Amino acid sequence: MNKTYLYNGSFNSLISLVGDLIYLKITPSDIKSDKEYKINLLDEPVQLNLEKKINLFDYLSYNVIHIVYYCYLSSVDNKELIIYYFIKNALKYKSKIFNHRDLNCVNKILKIAHNVGNEAHKLKGFLRFKQMKNNFYYAEYESTNNVIEILANHFKKRLNKDYWIIKDVKRNNYALYDLKKIMYLTEDEIIKLNLDKNSEEDIVEDLWKTFFKTVAIKERKNLKCQMNFMPKKYWNYIIEMEDSNEEGNK
Amino acid sequence: MTLKEKLIILSDSAKYDASCSSSGSTRSNKDGVGSVAYSGICHSFSSDGRCISLLKILMTNSCIFDCKYCINRKSNNVKRAIFTPEEICEITMNFYKRNYIEGLFLSSGIIKSADYTMERLIETLYLLRSKYHFNGYIHVKAIPGASEYLLKKLGRLADRISANIELPTDSSLKLLAPDKNNDNISKIMKSVKENKSRNFAPAGQSTQMIIGATHETDLDILSKSESLYNRYDLKRVFYSAYIPVNKDKLLPSLSLPPLTREHRLYQADWLLRFYNYQVDNLLDKNNPNFNVLIDPKADWALRHLNEFPKEINKSSYYDLLKIPGIGPKSAKKIILARRVFKIEFNDLKKMGISLKRAKYFITCNGKYFAASSIFNKNFIEKNLVLEDKASINSTGRQLCLFNE
Repeated sequence: MNKTYLYNGSFNSLISLVGDLIYLKITPSDIKSDKEYKINLLDEPVQLNLEKKINLFDYLSYNVIHIVYYCYLSSVDNKELIIYYFIKNALKYKSKIFNHRDLNCVNKILKIAHNVGNEAHKLKGFLRFKQMKNNFYYAEYESTNNVIEILANHFKKRLNKDYWIIKDVKRNNYALYDLKKIMYLTEDEIIKLNLDKNSEEDIVEDLWKTFFKTVAIKERKNLKCQMNFMPKKYWNYIIEMEDSNEEGNK
Repeated sequence: MTLKEKLIILSDSAKYDASCSSSGSTRSNKDGVGSVAYSGICHSFSSDGRCISLLKILMTNSCIFDCKYCINRKSNNVKRAIFTPEEICEITMNFYKRNYIEGLFLSSGIIKSADYTMERLIETLYLLRSKYHFNGYIHVKAIPGASEYLLKKLGRLADRISANIELPTDSSLKLLAPDKNNDNISKIMKSVKENKSRNFAPAGQSTQMIIGATHETDLDILSKSESLYNRYDLKRVFYSAYIPVNKDKLLPSLSLPPLTREHRLYQADWLLRFYNYQVDNLLDKNNPNFNVLIDPKADWALRHLNEFPKEINKSSYYDLLKIPGIGPKSAKKIILARRVFKIEFNDLKKMGISLKRAKYFITCNGKYFAASSIFNKNFIEKNLVLEDKASINSTGRQLCLFNE
C-alpha cells in the first residue's frame, strides 16, 4: 500500500517532515496536510513522530527557502512532493541548484513560485481598503494562492499608522494589524466585526471612480488590454470596476 | 466649484501624459505614512488598457503658454480650475490609504510665471511630506524656465522629476510650442542629472515625446531618445501617439492615433535600454521608419540572417539577446543552465522560454527545429508577421510594465 506522509499544514512542519524523510532515506509516494487529507482505500496515512534529526534551515540557502515557501503558499495539488524533490536536489547540488533546468522539480517549483509572487504583486495593487466606523481600514479579496502573509507584510510597511484588517474570503483567514504587529486569525477566532462604512467613505469612493473614468483616453479604448492586466477574477473587490461588472452580467 | 468638478477638469487635462511608473525609488520610510516599492505597483487599469499607478492631476489647467497640440493652451476656450495645496493633499491621502494609488503625479499649467508656478508646486509637496507625513511616491513635473534653486527644492521632495520634451526637433518645437524652448528643458535635465541622489529624485527622471503630430521620422525620434539616455541618464522616454484635441492648420488631422507606430517605438526603445542596440543598428537614412508589420528586433534579425542561426549552447549573452523572442531573463537562464548540461529544444520549453519566434533563429547542439530548407528569409518573415499580428490582437499594446 502507498504511504501518504502527513504534516500539520504549517510551513515549519512541512520542512521538518521533509527533513525526516530525507534523513530516513524514505521516498514518499505522497505528502499531504492532515487538514486536507481524506481517508481512502488506496493509501495509508502515516505520521512520523521523530525527533527532528536535521534542521533543514541550517543547510538551505535563503533563495532556496524563499522559493520553497512561495511554492508552499500555492494551491498546486502535489506541491509537497515537488518541494520534497526540490529540497533533495538542493542539498545535492547546493548553490548550483537553480542552474539545473534539466530537472523537472526545479522548473516546476520556479514556475509555481513565480505565479505566487505574481499574484501577490497584483493584489498589492488591487486590494481596496474601506474606512469603517471606529476608523479602521478593511479590505477583502479572493485569490488562487494563499498570499495573505505576503500582503500583510507589505501593508505593515505601508499603512503603519492605521489599524487595518485584510480578509481572504475564500480561505476565511484574517490578518489584523494593531500598529505594532500582525495577527493571523481564522473566522472562529475573530470577534464579530462591525462592517459599517464611515460616513465619508462614499464621497471618497465616488471621487476615485470619477478619476478612474476621466483618466481613460477614449480614442485609445482597449478593454481587452485592460482585462489582460486586471483579470476579471479580481473585479468583485475592485470598486471602480463595479459598473463594468454589472454591464457584464446584463 | 466642487472638489469633484475640479478633479474631473484637472485629471482630464493630465491624462495625456503617458508616464505611469512608480518604480525605481529607494527611499525608506522614516516614520511617515506609506512606502515606495522598488519594482513599482500598478493599482488599476483604465478602459484604454493603461496602468493607473499614480493620482495623475494638474495643479491647474490655466496656462500662459499657447502650445498648439495642448488642450490647455491659452487660446482654447475650456473650463479652468485650480486645486489648493490642501485639496491635493486631502485627495492624495484619502486615495493612498485605501490603496487606490501608489502616489501622486503632479503637473501644472503655467500661471503668472514659471517661478510662481514652481513655488506653488513646492508648497504642495512640502505640505504633503511634512504636515501629512506622506512617504509614498511623488512624480512631479518641473516647470521649464524656472530658477535653478527652485528646481533643487522641488527635487528634494519628489521621487521622480521630469520635463517633457514633447517634440523631437527644435524646428517642430518652434512651430507648435512657440513659448517653450529646448534649452530650458535641457537645463532641467542637466540639473536633475547632476543633483540626483538618495535625497533628490532617487527614481531619476523621464520625459515624453508626442508621436505623429509633426513630420519627424522614427529615426529622428529614436536618435533624440538615444542622445537623451546618453546625456542625461534618463530612466525612460515615453512615446505618446498624437491625439488631435485641438484644430489648428499646423496640426495634422488624423482620424486615429498612430498606436502601432507608438508600439514599435516602445519596442525599439527597449532594445536601446536592455539589449545593447544602437539606433544606427536599427534604422538609417534609407530606412528611417520601422516596419509596421514586424517588430524591430525581428526586422533586424531578418536583415542580418547571415548571423543566424545561433547556437544556444555557445553564443555569448549579447548574441543570445539578438535572437527574436529571447530577452535578458531568458538569456540569463540559458547561460546558467548550460554550465551544467547541454540544452535541447525541449529543455528551453521546460524552462519557460517561448520558442514561437526564437525557433527559426537557433540551433540546439547543432540541430535546427525543422528541415534546414525552412531557414530562408521569406518563410520566416511570413510566419513572424502572422505571429506578431496575433500577439498584438490578443494582448493589446503593452504600455506599462512593472519594471522599467
